[in-house]
Amino acid sequence: MTLIEIENLTVTFRSKGREVRAVEGVSLSVGARESYGLVGESGSGKSTILRAICGMAPVTGGTIRIGGQPLPTPRGRAFSTEVQMVFQDPYASLHPRHTIDRTLSEPLAIHGMPDRDARVVQALTDVGLPPAFRFRYPHQLSGGQRQRVAIARALMLRPKILLLDEPTSALDASVQAEVLNLLNRLRAEQGLTFLMVSHDLAVIDHMCDRIMVLQHGRTVEEIHREDLAGARMTTAYARSLFDASADRMLGGTTETAP
Amino acid sequence: MSLLEVRNLRVTFDTETGLVQAVRGVSFSLGHERLGIVGESGSGKTMTGRAVLRLIRPPGRIEADAMTFDGQDILHASEREMRALRGKRIGMVMQDPKYSLNPVMTVGRQLTEGLRLRDGLGRADATAKAIAALEAVQIRDPGRVMDAYPHELSGGMGQRVMIAMMLIPEPELLIADEPTSALDVTVQAEVLSILDRLVRDRGMGLIFISHDLRLVARFCDRVLVMHKGLVVEEIAASRLLDAKHPYTKGLLNCLPRIGGPRGPLPVLDRAGI
Repeated sequence: MTLIEIENLTVTFRSKGREVRAVEGVSLSVGARESYGLVGESGSGKSTILRAICGMAPVTGGTIRIGGQPLPTPRGRAFSTEVQMVFQDPYASLHPRHTIDRTLSEPLAIHGMPDRDARVVQALTDVGLPPAFRFRYPHQLSGGQRQRVAIARALMLRPKILLLDEPTSALDASVQAEVLNLLNRLRAEQGLTFLMVSHDLAVIDHMCDRIMVLQHGRTVEEIHREDLAGARMTTAYARSLFDASADRMLGGTTETAP
Repeated sequence: MSLLEVRNLRVTFDTETGLVQAVRGVSFSLGHERLGIVGESGSGKTMTGRAVLRLIRPPGRIEADAMTFDGQDILHASEREMRALRGKRIGMVMQDPKYSLNPVMTVGRQLTEGLRLRDGLGRADATAKAIAALEAVQIRDPGRVMDAYPHELSGGMGQRVMIAMMLIPEPELLIADEPTSALDVTVQAEVLSILDRLVRDRGMGLIFISHDLRLVARFCDRVLVMHKGLVVEEIAASRLLDAKHPYTKGLLNCLPRIGGPRGPLPVLDRAGI
């Protein structure tokens, strides 16, 4: 079943009388429980697509449907129980003066959900943090712990879809591994659908079944995971991204790593 | 003779909760080669780089058994002597162009400032030299970039401007602190090849500080792996896959690979290190 359907999406920013097409005619569809990746360099429009889904970018053409339904503008409450986003920078995406408890219980309060206490404790446990962390402030946590809190916050309303905007690019390699493992575990446990953005082809490849390569706001190529691993891309640009990927930098000898 | 010699370097900070040793006894020597320093946040890699230029402000303290650059004692050199070294003979490229370039000065003024003050060049000569430097880092439209303010440049352009700025005095040693971590992979490859050419053509020594083990392995001749202020392993970059130390192995293994297995990624066992 198709859960996310984007058809011919165009996003145009206007500034100083100039028009900038950040996304132009992008179409994609993501099935329920699928994990779909968007890769590209800065300015390729990959994050803008996620923001457009959330109603945070000026959509000037095309349609976005979630579960067959076109999205209302403004998005409204029902939307936040379906779709949530995890941002790149856990330092910037958590309120510095709110305790973790307040950050996590706010969505529950807005939606009038009961058992806030139990749900906050459960959410922290789900992302592998001790329940006592609810009384801390973001600055008392490490980057990886903060990103875990951001993931917990996104899951408070039990959404079906997580939009992941470079969720690990601000983290150290070893912490990145922990967060990626956590995301995969939560996807399996809660039956989530991922739409994930990254500039790191190896991360996208690890997490996603299908991958779209974007450049200058347009689709370059849509590729299956197996074809990526087998270097069976059809466009020169996708190949150049593949060749420049840090993963290739040991000359393909990583397979023999102990 | 080696260009830079560091023996038992320690960087200590006095904090409210007691002494914090950011670097706890690091030794290395550097010739005209590319040395990589890798480690995670808090491993002391940046502090090691800054300590070489004595760019650590009180309450931070730099101590070492010896620290010499081209035979000159830089541990006990006066501030005046250090100023003569900084920029001119030892350059440093900082991590983030957003914070390291002056936001209210055009790129052109920042690039020519040193030339005019230090080398006493006239405006026209300084401008010509600055434009040549921008061309050397493959900026296609140097005239436009000279008139731009840092916020008008992309991250990759800003990074290249910083590299150009550091290369104008033709330093013998360049310390590059995460010079490519803000860049896209294709731009990253370009910046690395610029640095690579400079090491080969000018015989410059390079200390390349990064958190990305695979990148360092491809680009450098030798790698120091740092963890909690200590060098846990020193290894030729080409032999990185034979690394012995569990921390180095852990860092290598926790990275996902294209076409790699789908199971959970191996996680660094911090207790065992």
